[in-house]
Amino acid sequence: MSQRIPLAWLQLRHEKMKLFAAVSGVMVSVVLMWMQLGLLQALFASAIEFHGAVNGELVVIHGQYEYLLRNQPFSSRLLHRILGSPAVQEVYPIYTQPLEWKNPWTGQLRTIQCYGIDTDKPAINLPQLAQQLSLLQHTDAFLYDRKARPGYGPVLEEFARGVTIEPEINRRKMTLVGLTNLGASFGVDGNIIVSHANFLRLVSERTAGHIDFGVIRLKPGADVNELQAQFQAILGTEVDILTRAEFCERELEYWRRATPIGIVFTTGTFVGFFIGFIVVYQILYTDVTTHLPHFATMKAMGFTDGYLFRMVLTQSIHLAFLGFVPGTLIAGLLYTGLRSATLLPLQLEFSRGLFLLAATILMCTISGTLALRKLRTADPADVF
Amino acid sequence: MTSSTAAPIVSGAGINFSFGVGELRKQILFDVEFAIQPGEVVLLMGPSGSGKTTLLTLIAGLRTLQAGQLNVLGHSLAGASRAELLALRRKIGFIFQAHNLLPYLTALQNVQMMFDLHPEVSPAEGRERAVRILEQVGLGERMLYYISKLSGGQRQRVAVARALVCNPEIVLADEPTAALDGASGREVVNLLQSLAREHQRPILMVTHDARVVDIADRIITMQDGRLINDLQATENLTRMSGIHA
Repeated sequence: MSQRIPLAWLQLRHEKMKLFAAVSGVMVSVVLMWMQLGLLQALFASAIEFHGAVNGELVVIHGQYEYLLRNQPFSSRLLHRILGSPAVQEVYPIYTQPLEWKNPWTGQLRTIQCYGIDTDKPAINLPQLAQQLSLLQHTDAFLYDRKARPGYGPVLEEFARGVTIEPEINRRKMTLVGLTNLGASFGVDGNIIVSHANFLRLVSERTAGHIDFGVIRLKPGADVNELQAQFQAILGTEVDILTRAEFCERELEYWRRATPIGIVFTTGTFVGFFIGFIVVYQILYTDVTTHLPHFATMKAMGFTDGYLFRMVLTQSIHLAFLGFVPGTLIAGLLYTGLRSATLLPLQLEFSRGLFLLAATILMCTISGTLALRKLRTADPADVF
Repeated sequence: MTSSTAAPIVSGAGINFSFGVGELRKQILFDVEFAIQPGEVVLLMGPSGSGKTTLLTLIAGLRTLQAGQLNVLGHSLAGASRAELLALRRKIGFIFQAHNLLPYLTALQNVQMMFDLHPEVSPAEGRERAVRILEQVGLGERMLYYISKLSGGQRQRVAVARALVCNPEIVLADEPTAALDGASGREVVNLLQSLAREHQRPILMVTHDARVVDIADRIITMQDGRLINDLQATENLTRMSGIHA
């Protein structure tokens, strides 16, 4: 459009209240979509925080592994079969089990996820874990999750003040020696990390030979997929050997299948889209109706239908951008608030931003296109 | 000067036009025949419902011709396509009864936007021409005012500027003085006439306003859908005022 005068924009901003209403509508819709998609993504991301952090390219799990909290241990002797492979650098056995934490301040019981790892090898890739491994060698020592939900007591505050924290975990008095970051998720409110020896002290029913995960770290340059197939053949059908990505995917698969989370938040996203669509449609429709005599005048003077259509569509795209920017800013603020309240890993991701911008433009364009039907009723012969 | 030998710029013959279908069909125009010569100022007069405005919309290519012949600016309107009617309308300067300016634009923008129909004119030149014509209609000081801040007469003067800025080949005006008081109406009509004369542009103006008949070269009078009178204005103005009294 050879726009010398930005007619679309001038018409749109002429009525400030209407413009404000339309932009607010788009904004609310954008905020809703950010929240729904953000929570969905964060909930899923939080469920695989451990899985993504294992310090190796391949992970051995029990063939009937369902999800983190319903796992079956397998014999660690299986791992010996592949230790001899020249491509294998290290193998890290990991134990895990939900335990009962007794809040030292209130006496309330709460479940906490416990990981048992080698103290000489960093089986999980977490900041500052490697430096603290030696601390875990002490009897009954544990690392506490900085991103645990409240409910375990004012652990972080008291620990920072230098108070010795000695909660009862599975009726055994343990000593906090350091902090780590693993994060809460759907099923887990907080985590602790202990040594293999302390794990077996804490969980008397578990035996040393039966582990939950075997993390395999390969030598640099090794062909992951080829070794995966090779090791699977060696290990047999009792266990599955997965790449780290497949390990994450297996966990997510459970949450997608077992919970309505995906449906709930996807529906929420559509609701946001629909709200924006209705608001923009209403505004553009009444706008076209109000300006119908002007459009008819322009038609009479020789402006084409296409010119007027582009005007209305340009307006919808203006609305999309005007609503998207503040909507994204508000979503950013809400994310920050929710991050500290829920400890979920909410992020304004660039790719999701692009997706939402496209969705917003689509939403406004559909509304504009529907409002255009009204434009056809502008009869230039009526202007005389 | 008007009864020249040059080809008429608008000519019609045997024009019939009806609204509605079947029982409700109502004929508005009956066998109308007329012509407008280059440079002529023609008034189309007659009582309400006489068919003047319908004839005007036909000439403007805003309605489809049902019967007869109508040639406007070299376009034959019988069976003309939408695109052809659109092309025709772009050569016409329109002035409406209510100014029909866009309220969300300034006076200058209202005039300038017409160049969106003429992409061959550069934005800078378009602006310059819009400024010049607004100065000519005496609104040099008020170009940046929104329409709501202008008086009725000023609005209609903006409308005159808008109609003429793209050098139309004919100006069609529908009761341009109807909403104005006597003095403002006079001023608008004078402006229209002088600007049109300056560029030798013909004007066809539908009007009830007997006060403006003196600008006309010719007056066509209609009654009940028929053309009852087609007089050179010089013939007898007193007789004219008699008819329209």
